[in-house]
Amino acid sequence: MSDGVRGNLIVLLVTSGTLLVIGLFVLIAGKDPFQAASVLVGRSLGSLNGLAEVAVRSIPLTLAGLGIAFAFKARMFNVGADGQLIIGAILAVLVATTLPGLTPWLLLPIFLLVGAAGGAAWGGLAGWLRVKYNASEIIVTIMLNYIALQILSWAIRGPMQESMKVFPRSDAVPDEILLQVIADGTRLHSGLFIAIAAAILAFVVMRYSMFGYQLMAVGSSRSAARVGGVNDGRIMTLSMVVSGAFAGLAGAVEILGIHGRLQDDFAGGVGITAIAVALLGRLNPLAIPLAAFLFGVISVGAGGLQRDMGIPLPLINIIEGLVIVAFLVSAHFTNARRAPAT
Amino acid sequence: MDEVFFIGLLAGAFRFAAPIALAALGETIAQRSGVMNVGIEGIILVGAFLAVLGSVWTGTPYGGLVFAVIGGVAMALLHAFLSITLKVDQIVSGIALIVLGLGFSGFFYRLTIGAQSPAPKIPSFDKLDLGALSKIDFLGPIFLQHHLLVYFTIVVAFALAWWLNRTGPGLRVRAVGEHPQAANAAGVRVDRIRYGCVLFGGAMAGLAGAYLSTAQLSGFVENMVSGRGFIAVACVVFGRWHPVGAMMAAFFFGAADAAQIRLQTLNPDIPFELFVMMPYVFAVLFLILLAGRTRMPAALGIPFLRTR
Repeated sequence: MSDGVRGNLIVLLVTSGTLLVIGLFVLIAGKDPFQAASVLVGRSLGSLNGLAEVAVRSIPLTLAGLGIAFAFKARMFNVGADGQLIIGAILAVLVATTLPGLTPWLLLPIFLLVGAAGGAAWGGLAGWLRVKYNASEIIVTIMLNYIALQILSWAIRGPMQESMKVFPRSDAVPDEILLQVIADGTRLHSGLFIAIAAAILAFVVMRYSMFGYQLMAVGSSRSAARVGGVNDGRIMTLSMVVSGAFAGLAGAVEILGIHGRLQDDFAGGVGITAIAVALLGRLNPLAIPLAAFLFGVISVGAGGLQRDMGIPLPLINIIEGLVIVAFLVSAHFTNARRAPAT
Repeated sequence: MDEVFFIGLLAGAFRFAAPIALAALGETIAQRSGVMNVGIEGIILVGAFLAVLGSVWTGTPYGGLVFAVIGGVAMALLHAFLSITLKVDQIVSGIALIVLGLGFSGFFYRLTIGAQSPAPKIPSFDKLDLGALSKIDFLGPIFLQHHLLVYFTIVVAFALAWWLNRTGPGLRVRAVGEHPQAANAAGVRVDRIRYGCVLFGGAMAGLAGAYLSTAQLSGFVENMVSGRGFIAVACVVFGRWHPVGAMMAAFFFGAADAAQIRLQTLNPDIPFELFVMMPYVFAVLFLILLAGRTRMPAALGIPFLRTR
């Protein structure tokens, strides 16, 4: 059996195993797995609105997932997409609400760029601390998540609170720069095109640029990369900068496409799901949008399971966890013949 | 800053530190054997939920404790299987545990305790009461009015330090974490020892969860661990992979937590978010300050391959 066939077979086995386990959890909840399957698919893919919601959900997952892929390629474990997304969104809204009078066609790109820059700074900080002080990027990114959450909470109750001072939220960003709905009667907005463009850009960078090559070199062996003349520390930091930029962009797009302003919980735990998305997409920028779409289906479908059948929503997290486990198990079997990197 | 403030602060420090310390002690042992588990946050969550469930079902918090430990070991078993047997990336496996813990605890909580109305009364641990002794000025409230698990934590920290550094099994754990090839050549079963250490870490994280939901608080709230598991992982580094060091680091974070809550109420004009973020800021600062002053177990995070 060739390696490719073998790999596909294992992926198939692991996928069906995951589905079986999910069915088992539905059974434990005392519900019919087949009915659950039909609700899950029907609610997400069965209607135009469901489909649009899936796409809406997959936009931030794609963007953040692409970011995760850049970091993981260099073996930098960025668990901080949530924090990077929040900081990016805060800075973008800050700029948009304090720079009035700019023409929309200038303000929109500035908004997105500032969002990306904010995320890049927050991610880059963790990368730099790892390289300079050997501070575990996992712990640092998670701590930075909690810190970002507190900054958001403070901003929308303090300096950035709406002029009316009623709710803990910021002023709305100017209407003119909001991303337009592209399917009438749904929430699907033109951020979809940003996500697709980002995926293509990420693919080109990873596949054809020197940076992409250096990422892979550092990821497969730091010392070998260094011997080969790669500045490994710089690449590790940069991987986190780029990773954070994508997450920050996701935050800016969420603001412009959905919320229109800052408020508590606008991020909605994208970060962890994005890790599952990136791993399911095997860190390939062209596969990540598909993985994000699948997780969009799961997310929207699980909402349907909760509403229609009373199956608890945290089933989503179980599925995410199982996907990561499945990824690990299949990675083990497909890599078994190769010498593992140390 | 008066007497009452400091008594409250120090007493609070013990209370808040205990779950972090329990988890950090288990993680210290796992890491000394060469296996990193960044997923103990997820294990603590499962432990916290199972402790509540077990307490309600059995009618005693000790029943809950047993549930939590079993759940913790089961979660750790998954991590051990993935990272020791399948030799996959330990970090990614840990991330899986974080998400699974979030999912399992939330899913089953909503199916069981969360679905009951009215909410069931949750049997929880009493505090130590040595009568007159517990009421001595200063010493009483600070040292002698805690849950038994607090004292258990302190005893375990010193016991583990002795065990790790002075006994044969402890030596084997260290050997496996520093130089698995040599340990293997000397006849030590590397993977078996690592399994034991990871499972121990899971049991301790389960205990930490039980402490959170049936001693410190009385009940389960989804995602209630809120980063303590990650702080515990950081405490292993701050404690330089020594059990007593890890406990001291946890005590510091307990104190920081106790302090930030008190400072919040004392300073209503300073945004409360500033205080809430302090422990997380400290964790990052400590990692920076400790740069180059720690040496992690040489084989930490590296799967053992017999063929080499």
